[in-house]
Amino acid sequence: MDIDAESLSLIQRKQSLYVSQDERFLLGLQKYKGQQYSHIYFFRLYKMREQFRSLINHQHPNLPVHTVLGLEVGKQCIIVGTLYKQMKLKPSVLDEYSKERSAVPLVKPHNFLHPDDHLILEDESGRVKLIGDVVKPSDYVTGVVLAVHGEETSDGDFLVHKIVEAGLPPQIKIPQEAKEDKYVAFVSGLSVGSIKSNPLQIQLLVDLLTGHLGDDKEQNVASQITRIVIAGNSVELQQGLLAGQSLASKDQSKLSEPIKEFDLLLTQLAAAMPVDIMPGPHDPANYSLPQQPLHKCLFPGASAYNTFVSSPNPHSFYLDDVGFLGTSGQNIDDLAKYSEAKEKLDFMERTLRWRHLAPTAPDTLGCYPFTDRDPFVVESCPHVYFVGNQNKYGTQLLKGSEGQLARLISIPRFCETGVAVMLNLRNLECHPLSFSCET
Amino acid sequence: MASVRGGGGDIKAFYRQRKKNNNTKPSKPSKSGVRLDSDPAQPPALLSHGSIDIKRDFDQCEEVLRRFDMNMSYGPCIGLTRLERWERANKLGMNPPKDVETLLKGGNAGLDCLWEGRV
Repeated sequence: MDIDAESLSLIQRKQSLYVSQDERFLLGLQKYKGQQYSHIYFFRLYKMREQFRSLINHQHPNLPVHTVLGLEVGKQCIIVGTLYKQMKLKPSVLDEYSKERSAVPLVKPHNFLHPDDHLILEDESGRVKLIGDVVKPSDYVTGVVLAVHGEETSDGDFLVHKIVEAGLPPQIKIPQEAKEDKYVAFVSGLSVGSIKSNPLQIQLLVDLLTGHLGDDKEQNVASQITRIVIAGNSVELQQGLLAGQSLASKDQSKLSEPIKEFDLLLTQLAAAMPVDIMPGPHDPANYSLPQQPLHKCLFPGASAYNTFVSSPNPHSFYLDDVGFLGTSGQNIDDLAKYSEAKEKLDFMERTLRWRHLAPTAPDTLGCYPFTDRDPFVVESCPHVYFVGNQNKYGTQLLKGSEGQLARLISIPRFCETGVAVMLNLRNLECHPLSFSCET
Repeated sequence: MASVRGGGGDIKAFYRQRKKNNNTKPSKPSKSGVRLDSDPAQPPALLSHGSIDIKRDFDQCEEVLRRFDMNMSYGPCIGLTRLERWERANKLGMNPPKDVETLLKGGNAGLDCLWEGRV
């Protein structure tokens, strides 16, 4: 059976210009010299105070800005500082020493909120407790930099009249409207090697994205996908083997099975289109944020292609002038433990409005003690903000006060839901791709 | 104590294993309460980089640098060398004093902050 050469038409995959913005997340050759976390908080307060200065001049030009020590009773003013949330149920390492060991089971509650939590605002000179109905402690976490307008009471607390939020950071507009549809695919939580993951489902995803599935129409759609971003938790290693003893050679190969399997999938993907892979909480990368890019030696097959890009977590890049910023979920999951909101998308919106990706770092979220920067401060608003490894798919278009537009995407875990996400670069619209194979 | 020959001559001054005074018997305080020998219960004087740091006549350069360390507006000083902290303040546009920079780059001044090694 001869294949007629003229009837075969090669569909070209579209391409997008990719510019990485990850320098601030990379540790490079930095060596840990024993420094503490105070420098990160200093940077955070400094940067945010600079941004607040112009905001306050705009909105409240008449009110003076004081430091905490310069407060006077009854005088209305604005103070800028870092929040500290005093939480009754927050697990503390000192509890191990104070309580009797047998009595209380160390059950980890899902959420550490308590009605008695209160907020304290702190700057270089001192700290003051915030009171008032305007301030809802359950909406905030430690590490957020806020400006509050109010007055000091005779008790020494600060009665808040209004919270001045930083709002969405300024955004660089996309220079020109794209003329054709170009898509970016997002997936996270593949968890290759875990019991929950279905290899057939993952292979379906890979085949669809690379264009090996479907008729001409399907393949045309697949050819418009210019990039795939894998947002963390791609493998799940068997934790039982890592019991602390040296591994037998049989166990060693069992341990690396998931990574080898994943490399095969990645090679198929990388051969077809540009791939960005980000580390997640379960991946073989460092624990504290920013997680460094997964090492090339883990993917001997895929790293041979120049379309394979190993990225840090968080990950920031420009694709055809559309700004992307995303994480593998640790920042939002930590917010969910220490504050509450109706949906995960609300947490994402808050992090953008606070202009800080991970305010709980380094308090409850592991973080590298930088001395020269706080890499999580969001200085320019991304057009697309994605978070991986969430429970379900969700999306929202945020509008800022100065015309900023941000598409929020909550990417669900593929091993549990079988859902990947497609984003259209032209109009920032988003839709889920569901895969299911019932056997 | 075992004596180790070799390049470790400095180490003995650093990690002093015997007090400078060499008094093996604890001396009883005299009736008037005045102590003339060193009391073994008291720790030896604060050692900083191998030499006792009681001297009050550190030079003026050090005084300027210490004031730079203590200045709150440039951020915390522990964990960075003074030059790194100056560079950081400069990059952020805080305009740190130029004479601090010349002192640090001149080479005579202590590069580590006031609390280095003590905290």
